[in-house]
Amino acid sequence: MSSPPDRFGPYDEHTQPQVPIEHYANTVLRNPRRAPFVRPVTRSELTGPLDLASKLHPGDINLAVLDGKPAQGQLIHVGGRILDEDGRGVANTLVEMWQANAAGRYFNPLDQRDAPLDPNFIGNGRCMTDEHGRYGFFTIKPGAYPVPNSNRWWRPPHIHFSLLGPASLSRLVTQMYFPGDPLNAHDLLLLSIADREAQHRMVSQQVPTQQIEGEWLGFTHDMVVRGRHATPPLH
Amino acid sequence: MTLPNAPLVPTGWQTIGPFFPRTFFQEADNDLTRLALDAAPTTRGETVILFGQVLQEGGGACVNAVLEAWQADAGGRFRHPADPEASLADPAFMGWGRAWTDAEGRYAFRTILPGGYRDATGTRAPHINLGLLASGVMRRLVTTVFFPDFAAANGADPVLGVLPAALRPKLVAVPEGQRDNCRAFRFDLLLRGEADEETPFFLD
Ligand SMILES: [Fe+3]
Repeated sequence: MSSPPDRFGPYDEHTQPQVPIEHYANTVLRNPRRAPFVRPVTRSELTGPLDLASKLHPGDINLAVLDGKPAQGQLIHVGGRILDEDGRGVANTLVEMWQANAAGRYFNPLDQRDAPLDPNFIGNGRCMTDEHGRYGFFTIKPGAYPVPNSNRWWRPPHIHFSLLGPASLSRLVTQMYFPGDPLNAHDLLLLSIADREAQHRMVSQQVPTQQIEGEWLGFTHDMVVRGRHATPPLH
Repeated sequence: MTLPNAPLVPTGWQTIGPFFPRTFFQEADNDLTRLALDAAPTTRGETVILFGQVLQEGGGACVNAVLEAWQADAGGRFRHPADPEASLADPAFMGWGRAWTDAEGRYAFRTILPGGYRDATGTRAPHINLGLLASGVMRRLVTTVFFPDFAAANGADPVLGVLPAALRPKLVAVPEGQRDNCRAFRFDLLLRGEADEETPFFLD
C-alpha cells in the first residue's frame, strides 16, 4: 500500500461541531468542562490498525435486501471516496454505516418510537475501501425522525458513518445528509458546525438519473480524513 | 475558491448518536490478545484486564459508550509503516480493540501489558490510548492509560508530562487484584465534572 499520512495538524474549529447543543442534553452531560490538553504527536498516535478485517468482517454492502426480500423504501446506492487532506484516496479504510429504515426507525432495542420496523431491513453495513479509497453501499433512503423531548426537532434523513483509517489520528465518525431536504437547514447537529461550506460538504450529491441503469437512485459522498504527507503527491 | 494543491478540509465530526448498532460488537472485539474470535491468543507479554466505569456529569453512568483501545505490543512495537521496527512487531497482536459500556457504564478489555518505546518526542512509557464515542459526544474524546508498574517511565513520559502534576495520577490505572487469573487494572472516566475530578482528555 502507499505510505500512510504522517502529518496531522489540529482541526479548524469552525469546521467542527461545537457543544453544547440546545435540546441535546447528552452534549451537556458528556463533554468535558476543561479544554483538552495539547499533547505531542508520538508513534502511538501516528499508527493505527491496518488489518481490522479479521476482527470487524467487512462485506455487508447490500442492506436493501435481506434473505432475498427487498426492504421497503426508495432503493439507493451511496458511494464515494475516502480522501486524506492531500486528496489521495485512502485505501484499506474500514467503513461502518448505520441508518434508520424508511419510516425513520432504527433496528435497535433502544429506539422505542412507535414507527414500524421493516422485517427486511436491519440498516448496518461494513466495507473496506479499495486501492483508490472507494466505498459503496446499496440501501434504502432513511426516513426522518423526531428527537424525543426536543421541542420537535426532527433529524433529517441521514446515514451514520464510522471510518477507521491508517492512523489513530485519522479516525472519523460523521453523518451524511441528503441534498434538498428541507430539514437540513434546521438540523441542530448539522448547524453545530459553524462553517457553511463545511456543513455543505456533509450533504451528499445526487447522481443524474440518466447515468444509472438500475432501479435505484445514486448518491455520491466523499469524506476527508485528517492527515497529510511530508512528501507531496506527484500529480 | 479552492486553489490547486490546497489541502482538503477534514470532514466534520458528528456524534454516533444513541443507536450505534449493538450487532457491530462481536465477542472478541474487546480482547486485544487475539486477532479474531477464533484466533489463538498471543504468547508475548503479560495478559492483563483493563476495566472501569464511564460516568457523566452528576455521576450517572454513561451507558452505550464505545471505547476504542490502541496500543503497542509487549515489545513496544506497532505493525505499521510508521514504526521503524514494524517487522519485529508481534504478528499475533493487532493492538486494537473495542468495548462498549453496559447499563452501569462499565467496560472491560483483555489485553497485554504494552511495552514502551523511543521516538522523536522522547521515551514513551507503556500506555494504552483510549478513544471514547457516545451519544452527545460530538468529537471523539481521547485519553491515555498508564500503569503504576512504570513510575520512573511515567515521570518522563512526554504526553503525561503536559498535564499539571496534580492531574497525572488520574491517568494511571489502579491495580485491582486478579480477574480471570490475570492482573486487573481499573481506569474510570468522568466525562464532565469539577476540575479536580474530571478525566483529563487530549486534543485529538
Ligand atoms: Fe441517527
